[in-house]
Amino acid sequence: MRRPNNVRGPASALTEFLKESGITHTTIARRARTRQVAQPEPVAGPSRQQAGDNEAGDGDVAENAENQEREYNSDNLDESDNEPKTKKRKLTKAAEAKLKAQAKAKAKKNKKKGDDEDYSDSEDEEEDAYTALSKMWKDQTKPPNGSLIECAKCGTEFSVTQYTRQAPDGPGWLCHPCLKASGVDPFKKPAAPRKRKPLTEKRNVTNFEKRRLPSLASTCIKVISQHIDDVEALGDIGSMNVDQIAKAIAKDRSLTAENATLFYDVQNTNLTLYDATNLMPPALCTLASLNPNLTSLRLDFCGRMNNAVLAAWNTSLPSLKRIELLGPFLVRAPAWQSFFASHPKLTGFLINQSPRFDLQCMESLVEHCTDLTELRLKEVGQLDEDFLPHIKKLAGQLTHLDLSAPGEPEALSCDALTDLVAAVGAGLRHLDLSGHVLLDDGFLFQGIKPHARCLEALVLSHTPELTDAGVAEFFDTWSAAAHPPNPPLVLLDMNRNHELAGKALEALLRHSGNALETLNINGWKAAPEDMLNILGKKARRLRRVDLGWCREVTDWTIKALVERCKSLEEVKVWGCQRITANCPRKRGVAVLGIETQNFV
Amino acid sequence: MLQMNGKSPEDWIRLISTDGYSYLVQRKVAVMSGTLRNMLNNDFAEAASNTCPINERGIIVEKLCEYLQYKHTYENALPRQDGPDFTERIPPEIALELLVAADYYDSK
Repeated sequence: MRRPNNVRGPASALTEFLKESGITHTTIARRARTRQVAQPEPVAGPSRQQAGDNEAGDGDVAENAENQEREYNSDNLDESDNEPKTKKRKLTKAAEAKLKAQAKAKAKKNKKKGDDEDYSDSEDEEEDAYTALSKMWKDQTKPPNGSLIECAKCGTEFSVTQYTRQAPDGPGWLCHPCLKASGVDPFKKPAAPRKRKPLTEKRNVTNFEKRRLPSLASTCIKVISQHIDDVEALGDIGSMNVDQIAKAIAKDRSLTAENATLFYDVQNTNLTLYDATNLMPPALCTLASLNPNLTSLRLDFCGRMNNAVLAAWNTSLPSLKRIELLGPFLVRAPAWQSFFASHPKLTGFLINQSPRFDLQCMESLVEHCTDLTELRLKEVGQLDEDFLPHIKKLAGQLTHLDLSAPGEPEALSCDALTDLVAAVGAGLRHLDLSGHVLLDDGFLFQGIKPHARCLEALVLSHTPELTDAGVAEFFDTWSAAAHPPNPPLVLLDMNRNHELAGKALEALLRHSGNALETLNINGWKAAPEDMLNILGKKARRLRRVDLGWCREVTDWTIKALVERCKSLEEVKVWGCQRITANCPRKRGVAVLGIETQNFV
Repeated sequence: MLQMNGKSPEDWIRLISTDGYSYLVQRKVAVMSGTLRNMLNNDFAEAASNTCPINERGIIVEKLCEYLQYKHTYENALPRQDGPDFTERIPPEIALELLVAADYYDSK
């Protein structure tokens, strides 16, 4: 790789030194070769050739060793070095050519590397001139395979193989039996030499990589955060839709302690933050002190909230009446109890996901907050039947009850829930008992049918015991059960109840069709096509429908919905595979989940 | 994607603000916005007339167009070459309003 002209790049001090001393890779390689060959001579066993062909020179020594190996074959218990060699010879010509080319390329590459990087990488590759150097360093004294030497322990003569190991204490080599006796496993592969990490490319050459520009929204949030203290610059926030801004900022976890102050105001009575993940406990305390007049507070993803925050809220939010928290899992029972004690006027307590809300908390809540009308204990780990007597004390005043997705799906029996609804059902407008898997048809007949008077929203998702015939009969006989009858439902969510099908759907449309605005029958896989197609005709007020995994839904089902339901906003059809890309659409109606759409 | 249905990426798209200003951008620039792309690639009236009404004030639409042009210009630039920072081009007075618009129009 000598370059035709004499232009050279910068070289390191070492390179210069080696060059001046006349050390080049060829001299090093030669030295290594002579050294390796020279060594075995004194130990090599006696042979005819040694006497006769001595003048043949260095080149013959290898052959010499080979011959010996053939001679002492019986002594050599292990595979000899030769075998791979003969195997190699059997390679086809094409393979050989390939190997050669590879070797050439490797050598070339290495040389180049050596030139550029001061020979730093050369020991990795075998074909390189510099492997000679590394060979020189390792196992310098070991005679070549096949030569005869004396065992350092027992003194018998044996032939060296690739498995011969050095004596552990002192110089010399051990024969196979001695080696085994000393407890060394001769066949154990020596620890692979630590490979040098391939040098990382200094330049990134991924030219086709798409740049990720910051989105306009995140840029705006940056600007807002920069000017957060400058009321003049941001203009009057009051004239804008604060809720919309709150939703926009909540995306990408952008709400921080700095820009959250945008939503704070002494006069605020309502505050909703849709993603409070980045609000640490001090920020949540600040929230309370900057909005002392809040009556309603909702924080989604408030996972950082802890006891200290709640303790601060005890004093800084005196007029709080309704609190909605998603994920306050760090708050412990004593903190909840003191919070209830300091907020006796609380009318709404809605939390999701708390493994620490226990029976004492429930007791304290009912004891202190006597005006409670809304209660949500969704995904509460410790919910069990002992909670129910306390909830029953809220009979008559409770309008919204959500005990869905308990930590233990079988925590509440069907009878216990029936009793509960018998006690509090008369005032309930919203009931959610999703995820109680023991719930069966009997609950509908003995709980809801005789006791619900003004129920508008019923959510019973993932209650697999409900049957098609039972639900159908319930809806057919509900209006006759009491006087005055319960009004038709506005919201019905019975998703993931796979047993339910056409009869239940027909009966519920007959009962509540005129009033239904939200319907979720996701997972009613056997609901027949003709029943689904009259959805649009029977339930004209529908706004949101989820028909996911109802396998019989077709374009005609959607057509009826889109044409007949004037206030329709959203239809979900995930998993409805009979819908085609030609499914009817209308401005203002979002049809979500048409799977063929992806291929248009 | 851009070449669909014989529509040329060089076509001019008209964006009309609520206060009556219109802005002309090329299709390849307009489709940088996911929302506008959906409007223009489906069988909506917008696609037929190449005109999209935008429910924002003129100054917001103008800034939106500016960003789309910025995105179109620098998205395919070499990684090393940092484009200019768009932050400097947003006057704080319209940042909040623009955020709401961006949330709607700049979706992927």
